[in-house]
Amino acid sequence: MSSQASLRSRHCRKVVAILAPGLFLMVASPALADRIERHFKVDAHPVVTIHNPTGLVTVRAWTKSEVMVVAKRATDRVDVDAEQIENRVEIMTHQIPDNASPGDLRADLEISVPEDAELQIHNDSGGVNVSNVLGDMNVETIAADVALEDAAGYLTVKTVDGSFQCTRCAGRIEATSISGNFRFIDLRSYHVRAQTSEGNILFNGEFLPNGTYELKNYNGVIEVRFSPNDSFNLSATSLKGKVNNEAKLTPSSHHHHFLPKFGNALFGTMNTGRASVELTSFSGTINILKRD
Amino acid sequence: MDTMNCNAFLDQLEQWMDGDRSADAQSHLRACPQCRGVVDDLESIHQVAASMDAADPAPPEKIWLALRSQLEQEGLIHGEELTWAEALATWFGGVFSAVPRPALAGAYMVALIAVGITIAGRSYTPINGSQVSTQPLMAQLNTAEQDAVSSMTNSDPVVVASLHKNLAIVDNYIALCEKSVQEEPESEVARDYLYGAYQQKAELLAQITERGDDR
Repeated sequence: MSSQASLRSRHCRKVVAILAPGLFLMVASPALADRIERHFKVDAHPVVTIHNPTGLVTVRAWTKSEVMVVAKRATDRVDVDAEQIENRVEIMTHQIPDNASPGDLRADLEISVPEDAELQIHNDSGGVNVSNVLGDMNVETIAADVALEDAAGYLTVKTVDGSFQCTRCAGRIEATSISGNFRFIDLRSYHVRAQTSEGNILFNGEFLPNGTYELKNYNGVIEVRFSPNDSFNLSATSLKGKVNNEAKLTPSSHHHHFLPKFGNALFGTMNTGRASVELTSFSGTINILKRD
Repeated sequence: MDTMNCNAFLDQLEQWMDGDRSADAQSHLRACPQCRGVVDDLESIHQVAASMDAADPAPPEKIWLALRSQLEQEGLIHGEELTWAEALATWFGGVFSAVPRPALAGAYMVALIAVGITIAGRSYTPINGSQVSTQPLMAQLNTAEQDAVSSMTNSDPVVVASLHKNLAIVDNYIALCEKSVQEEPESEVARDYLYGAYQQKAELLAQITERGDDR
């Protein structure tokens, strides 16, 4: 290698060494600009409303009397407004230019709230994940899936075809969908009312004394898992489908017919019948199975 | 013990929704999932209506008169059976009198279809051998569907695809439920599913319209 070439090479390395941090900053700065963080001091039982049509919404409870909003925008064509009105915090995503494409409008929100917060969430596509929040909750989505963990209060969830999973939830649950699947895992709820037209419903939880559990679909599978100590009155009807039962039921005095194992209607009592379980399907299959 | 039947309870529905709740009515509601379903639906609509602004009230009477006339023509209700339906209409009138006009589109649609099919479910009696006809309600929904679908042209393609897919699911659901009701007109379960199908379609269209208004 000539000394001239060697000099050029050393010069190039020097130029790169000088420019590299600058280049990094230029690349990194838009990403930093797209992260928005806001904090709001709140009193007990704050109400947090979230309107984010596209993107993930993640809400977690923490011990501070504060709501923290961290928003990550896909582009600068979407804006995230967060404001406080008394004890209510409103978070809203909206497009800045009218001609923005749907992909430009994605914003992922991570929100920390006190555990007694009430939530109202509206998300069309993306997803909603909430954990450890004990206040009432209303979640509405179109295609976004909803996952609640360790929630309590009065929970209402409505999707069009997003799935809904509720794990270790307590309180009262009302869920409706057209084609979303529902999964209720290790529940401690005294009232569950769930209806999906084309989706499946899995209930694997405890039937609490005096609780009411109404699961309904049009098509698909409704599966309920019980343990030998569960105590409930059961009504299971599939107008054009099948009912499969593994529970040892005593005939119900309120109904004239009792079909012991297979058929499309089943009424009976398990143990002392302290909870009320009503399973209804138009043409789907209903499975009442022993819990593993 | 349940000492009241569904018709008697429905006659008292307006009082019930106004908070005047007799022991007999409470006892009936505990024992009757159908009536409980009606009350739950009305309470949901009431809550939605109560959360809306009080601007630009719209009188609902003409809509109720049209509905009544339509249901009578269809043989879904008779004059003597209208007592509770009228009471319901009055109650709805009160609820919706303070609702702004844009919000009425969806809310009315849900209420009208819900009540229309509920009436059909409670008092269905074929007249001159005729069967339940829901064509006028379907026509109403089809018009609403055209408006709703045209309002979502610029929306997220994932959302649009999902809404189209689910509209098709609900339409199929309605067709199958109607067939089932035609085959077994006395089946309360079949009517209940048909009611649910219409209600679901109305709610879905209301949701689509709402998305269109948001943009």
